[in-house]
Amino acid sequence: MSAPKTIPKDAQVMIQILKDMGITEYEPRVINQMLEFTYRYVTTIIEDAKIYATHAKKSTVDADDIKLAIQCRMDQSFTSPPPRDFLLEVARQKNQTPLPLIKPYTGPRLPPDRYCLTAPNYRLKSVQKKVSTSAGRITVPRLSVGAVSSRPSTPTLGTPSVQSVTTKVGTPVSLTGQRFTVQIPPPSQTTTTKTTTPSTPAVSNVLINPSLIGSKNILITTNMVSQNTGGDSLKRKHEDEDDYDAL
Amino acid sequence: MAAVQGGMVDSYEEKDIKTEPPNDGGGNNNANDGRLLSPSPGSSASSAGSNKSVAGAPEDQQTLLAVLQFLRKNKLTESVEILRREAGLPEDSLDLKGGDSSGAGSGGAAGGVDLESGDASALLSRVTVSSSAAAQAPTKAPGEDQPDVNVVLSAYSQQGDPALYGVYYSGLKKFIESVLDCHRAELSQVFYPLFVHMYLELVYNNHENEAKVFFEKFSGDQECYYEDDLRILSSLTKKEHMRGNETLLDFRTSKFVLRISRDSYQLLKRHLQERQNNQIWNIIQEHLYIDIFDGMPRSKSQIDAMSGSLAGEAKREANKAKVYYGLLKEPEIELPLDDEDEEAENEEGKPKKKKPKKDSMGSKSKKQDPNAPSQTRIPLPELKDSDKLDKIMYMKEATKRIRLGPDNLPSICFYSFLNAYQGLTAVDFTDDSSLIAGGFADSTVRVWSVTPKKLRKVKSAADLNLIDKESDDVLERIMDEKTASESKILYGHSGPVYGISFSPDRNYLLSSSEDGTIRLWSLQTFTCLVGYKGHNYPVWDTQFSPHGYYFISGGHDRVARLWATDHYQPLRMFSGHLADVTCTRFHPNSNYVATGSSDRTIRLWDVLTGNCVRIFTGHKGPIHALAFSPNGKFLASGATDGRVLLWDIGHGLMIGELKGHTDSIYSLKFSRDGEILASGSMDNTVRLWDSLKAFDDLETDDFTAATGHIHLQDNSQELLLGTYMSKSTPVVHLHFTRRNLLLAAGSYNP
Repeated sequence: MSAPKTIPKDAQVMIQILKDMGITEYEPRVINQMLEFTYRYVTTIIEDAKIYATHAKKSTVDADDIKLAIQCRMDQSFTSPPPRDFLLEVARQKNQTPLPLIKPYTGPRLPPDRYCLTAPNYRLKSVQKKVSTSAGRITVPRLSVGAVSSRPSTPTLGTPSVQSVTTKVGTPVSLTGQRFTVQIPPPSQTTTTKTTTPSTPAVSNVLINPSLIGSKNILITTNMVSQNTGGDSLKRKHEDEDDYDAL
Repeated sequence: MAAVQGGMVDSYEEKDIKTEPPNDGGGNNNANDGRLLSPSPGSSASSAGSNKSVAGAPEDQQTLLAVLQFLRKNKLTESVEILRREAGLPEDSLDLKGGDSSGAGSGGAAGGVDLESGDASALLSRVTVSSSAAAQAPTKAPGEDQPDVNVVLSAYSQQGDPALYGVYYSGLKKFIESVLDCHRAELSQVFYPLFVHMYLELVYNNHENEAKVFFEKFSGDQECYYEDDLRILSSLTKKEHMRGNETLLDFRTSKFVLRISRDSYQLLKRHLQERQNNQIWNIIQEHLYIDIFDGMPRSKSQIDAMSGSLAGEAKREANKAKVYYGLLKEPEIELPLDDEDEEAENEEGKPKKKKPKKDSMGSKSKKQDPNAPSQTRIPLPELKDSDKLDKIMYMKEATKRIRLGPDNLPSICFYSFLNAYQGLTAVDFTDDSSLIAGGFADSTVRVWSVTPKKLRKVKSAADLNLIDKESDDVLERIMDEKTASESKILYGHSGPVYGISFSPDRNYLLSSSEDGTIRLWSLQTFTCLVGYKGHNYPVWDTQFSPHGYYFISGGHDRVARLWATDHYQPLRMFSGHLADVTCTRFHPNSNYVATGSSDRTIRLWDVLTGNCVRIFTGHKGPIHALAFSPNGKFLASGATDGRVLLWDIGHGLMIGELKGHTDSIYSLKFSRDGEILASGSMDNTVRLWDSLKAFDDLETDDFTAATGHIHLQDNSQELLLGTYMSKSTPVVHLHFTRRNLLLAAGSYNP
């Protein structure tokens, strides 16, 4: 290590850039961030340019390749908002339609379900094995529903066989981002409380990682499931992929 | 002619003389001839960048094509046929160079058409209020409705000798300095836009060195409040830099508006037309819009007050539309039998006797306020029972409200967010001040309960089935006690949360983030309900309407959108700003939306039609705070320049300026009755201003609304009622409780 502490040349360049642009107050980490960005960007561009050069069967990378690489990356990551005249045109069209009237007394005013994030974001996997019933436990469909209401197809309101409920831990209630935990009872059993997964003969619940909050909202109804006590495959009433817009 | 070449001055002048006498019939043909010269500099500029154009065959061909294109665009089909036949051009050659030349062509055409009308007064007519707007729109339209960047940039393809730009500019400077004092201030307004456009022309035509020299020589002369823009401009040295910079492109396609008195304008015109440096005159014609008014020239201070925005000031007719700034009538609500009444019963037979007593909120007059919009102008949700209960609570609290004034200042309660490490990016309070929500740079939204009552989630559906639905306290029973906690964290966004807003009925929370989405969260279950996608760029601000159901958002894509909670697409798009929309606020009557932007203007939009009804210029920095006065008549705005400006919405004028803060202002709030304006800023202070007094002086003034002159008094010091320092905590949000206690929020930043 050299005794005097010198800043590497690249960092000095960054400091100079900040000074030229008139930025006087900044945290020291900003220099590192800028350096990191620069290295990553330049590396990406040069790699892309190499690919283009080999594609054009050139032995060396030249300025045209670099230009092309920059152009392509620009369209990909550094997009800019649409131009003003386009926006004006779109706005003009949109503003022509009158404001829609508001229907009275409709409960929570939310878009159609497919555009909401209120459906369960997991899917139950069926288990083929036959499991002995252990002390006749039944699980009760417990859904903590995101929206308080309004969809007749949700499992909550469907199942008649609700008994008492435990709020004990057996059902992994994750704290934050989760939407639903559902345990769907096979209709054959009677008494209540939790089950552990192997004890359900028909259905085992699999909680998909709640962080898969995504555009695929999979709807499931208990009515349907409880009918498949054999539980081979879960037919989903709504085919999700086809229905939803690419949002 | 918009385009003149140094070397071709002689031929230009000949053409000029020829087209001088007014010809109405042959107008278009002359336009063709006159314009032949302008596309040729255009094409030669883009081809070789050389000044002298040798009228070689390719250039002529291209100009002919440009002419054809222009004729076609203006639907002069017969002329098209004739020209094509005579020039011997094949059918499909129209598309060559159509894009590039049409821009220059239409630019030239604008100048050409004007010369048609003949004499000097026609040139004047080009820039007067009424005609030019109409004239310019059609001529510019062909160039601009192609969103092709090249077309837009080719507006710069005219050129004089680059080395002479500096000479032209200093010549103008000398002239303006020699003019009478009263005119000098007004004419100095021309410097900045002229400088920028000349610089950009040099850059576009690849005269990098001349551009740099020009910049160094003259950038120091510009007004101090343009410093930031100039710095950005200084980093722009090549043509490639100009692409992709939307703000810059907008700057150049929209005309920079200047307001100059007729006398000053005559002086300027006379000077510029006498000389050979018509280059400047061309630029002025092309890129500047001079709004001429009759009357006294304005003083420097008046001009400084109004200027500073990216596109100059606002045209006077932009602020002429009628705005319904009054408040909607409050619905009549019967109060419950309570200790408040003397009468014990709410008899059906005597409703009238009750209402005037209880309605301290101001629906005393049954007549319609002429300035208020009708109840049904925009559809608003009807009041549910819970809303009515809320309103009753509101009225009760209103009776206990402290009357504020210069001698009765509010107490301030400051909520400091500790350990946020500068990650606190947005804060909001509910209207009844029971909840506070914070949006953070780590993409979380956290909600705290300010009162001792904890936050609870609704029980699960199975549990809900078990409760007794008929019981009186069913609303408490649906809550799950086991989930009670002081605060809740909401995860879902994938970028810092820049805007937060509670719904008036406390059921929903909106958050807008850098990931381009706006999320609606339920405060009953503390989960996310909807993600509204539309902005593809960071959304800087969002707000629920005071009546619920609608909300607005504004972001980096320079538009503000109006949404309703039950539509997944926006209902209205408010487009017009030249730079990001940084602040969006609803008017108390929900019929108008104010947006503040990085282009340093504030626009007021009508929700019903989506039109911009007001443009307010005057700030010298991006606007981050907006507040409507409770009576709906006035708007206060705060920006990074540290000033608070007060605007009269009805007349569209600036009525006050509050100086005092030394750093960006991030929050503004009027007290519940509008007597005090509180402002919070990055300089760690909260300042209270006497808004009653500031608006009072207004009534006695007679507005010179025609000219839009404002004469601001420098009374900031008198209006300042108090400055309260916080301990190194910038103030991010302000809120007056229903009883006029001031709450402030910020993150402690040692």
